Amino acid sequence: MRGEVAVVGVGRTPYSRAKQGERTYTVDEYLAWAADLALTQAGMSKNDFDGQGLGVAHAEASHTVNWSAAVAETLGISPKVLLRGDQGGATAAALLIRAAAMIHAGIVDRVLVMGADTPLTIPSIAPGLPLSPERTRGVFWDFQGPFGVMGANSQFAMVQTRYMHQYRLQPEQLGKIAVTTRYHASLHPGAIYRMPFTMEQYLASQVLSYPVRLFDCVPMVNGGLAYIVTSADSARTITDKPVYLLGFGEVSNYYHGPRTRPDITFTGFEQAAPEAFKMAGVGHRDIDVFEPYDDYPMVVLIQMEDYGFCRKGEGAEFVAERNLRFDGDFPISTDGGQLSGGQPGGAIGGFMPIVEAVTQLRGEAGDRQVKGAAVAAASGFGGMTYARNNRSCVTLILGSEA
Amino acid sequence: MASVPEGKPIPEITELTRPFWSAAKQGKLVMQKCQRCGTLDFFPKPWCIECGHRGLEWVEVRPHGTVYSYTVAYTVMMNYPAWKDDLPVMQCIIDLDDGPRMYGQLTGCRPEQIRIGMRVEAYFEDIGKDSAIPKFRPG
Repeated sequence: MRGEVAVVGVGRTPYSRAKQGERTYTVDEYLAWAADLALTQAGMSKNDFDGQGLGVAHAEASHTVNWSAAVAETLGISPKVLLRGDQGGATAAALLIRAAAMIHAGIVDRVLVMGADTPLTIPSIAPGLPLSPERTRGVFWDFQGPFGVMGANSQFAMVQTRYMHQYRLQPEQLGKIAVTTRYHASLHPGAIYRMPFTMEQYLASQVLSYPVRLFDCVPMVNGGLAYIVTSADSARTITDKPVYLLGFGEVSNYYHGPRTRPDITFTGFEQAAPEAFKMAGVGHRDIDVFEPYDDYPMVVLIQMEDYGFCRKGEGAEFVAERNLRFDGDFPISTDGGQLSGGQPGGAIGGFMPIVEAVTQLRGEAGDRQVKGAAVAAASGFGGMTYARNNRSCVTLILGSEA
Repeated sequence: MASVPEGKPIPEITELTRPFWSAAKQGKLVMQKCQRCGTLDFFPKPWCIECGHRGLEWVEVRPHGTVYSYTVAYTVMMNYPAWKDDLPVMQCIIDLDDGPRMYGQLTGCRPEQIRIGMRVEAYFEDIGKDSAIPKFRPG
């Protein structure tokens, strides 16, 4: 399936922290807005998706049993195929694989994939916090919250503590990732936090949950994103800048070691990434820009290792030695990432690596453009498990040439 | 719509999970053991995650283990403001001597004293008429 489908349009709405007095938008409005941006870039109309595919990412705000069909109704699209993803931050990347498979099978020729969420304004069980009251409450929840686990910060902090026990890591290396993404955000008009900070400011930022600092944590925003994927043949008639899906790999509920007590310093990317590289027929040195899933610097560093850019346990050295800026020798998170760009809910931030990789490969990234970017790697990462590895890991390899 | 929570998060006790909470009320730590392959696992599941056997039996496990990893919360990060009274909250992943892994709050030492590999033992704190929750302290 290498190079059989291509992304021909992407959209990312402005984000909002829903400050007092600001106009707020609903999820439906963000979906339409993001889709409009993607359609405009592709020179297409929503009516081009009648009889085709529509993909909708599950959001905190989506609670009907047929959310994707409700979105089709709201937008006035009559698709043949509905795809709904519920893999959290891996949803956008996973839906690209599902869409590619539908196109490969000849069931549809194109799919419009969208996601939006408004974690700051949905009815929430505590104002300003991203948990909706109707959220499905799995059994696991009863064995986390009551035991003192305070969400993702706690869970990533425990990964980081264990990592620091097994390998070498100084706060400065995570700080370098955070400082770099903020610098990139300063070059991206759509990022929510754009004022650069220094390593000293990073190190001085409040420890929220040792060893995780405030500047390690992803800020929630309201917003929406979308992309359009179609067969390579159609793509070439739509745009002179198709971005081809060269390879992908995916795994959910990966264990590194025994199911009951695996090594949590690993992620499923150690399985998904090699699959994607192999399918794409590219090596690590071919990657011009890396768009990791970056809600915490720690998970970025672990992805560098589990993708094989460096050996396990040598991520800190790798980060210290490389220049992570857009004009450096290993550019990452060139849009400012989620860390400084903002995360539109726990499920929708996963669109950002795809949207930015496509933007880079189209050569449309403006002040933050990676020169001559031809091949990009992008991640989807969805959810933490109960003291084990993680829920979903998806690797995509995208390229400007098939 | 759910109301804004007060206090700390309280588990919703179901038929599946009741044995755990009831045993904790009696000062015992129990977990599910697969009657086919013998795997002990936690949190409660509908079948064995090793072999898929649905015959799981609640058995008592030794309340001793080691700290696999930890974090110290200096601020309340979820929806339950009552954790504020307990800050800093020391939160661990505990690998029990009998095999299973669990989350647990650590008390009885200072944050700077926690170490990976540290020996801990469970004790039980009431959270309801018929339920208690295990916490850990050095031991």
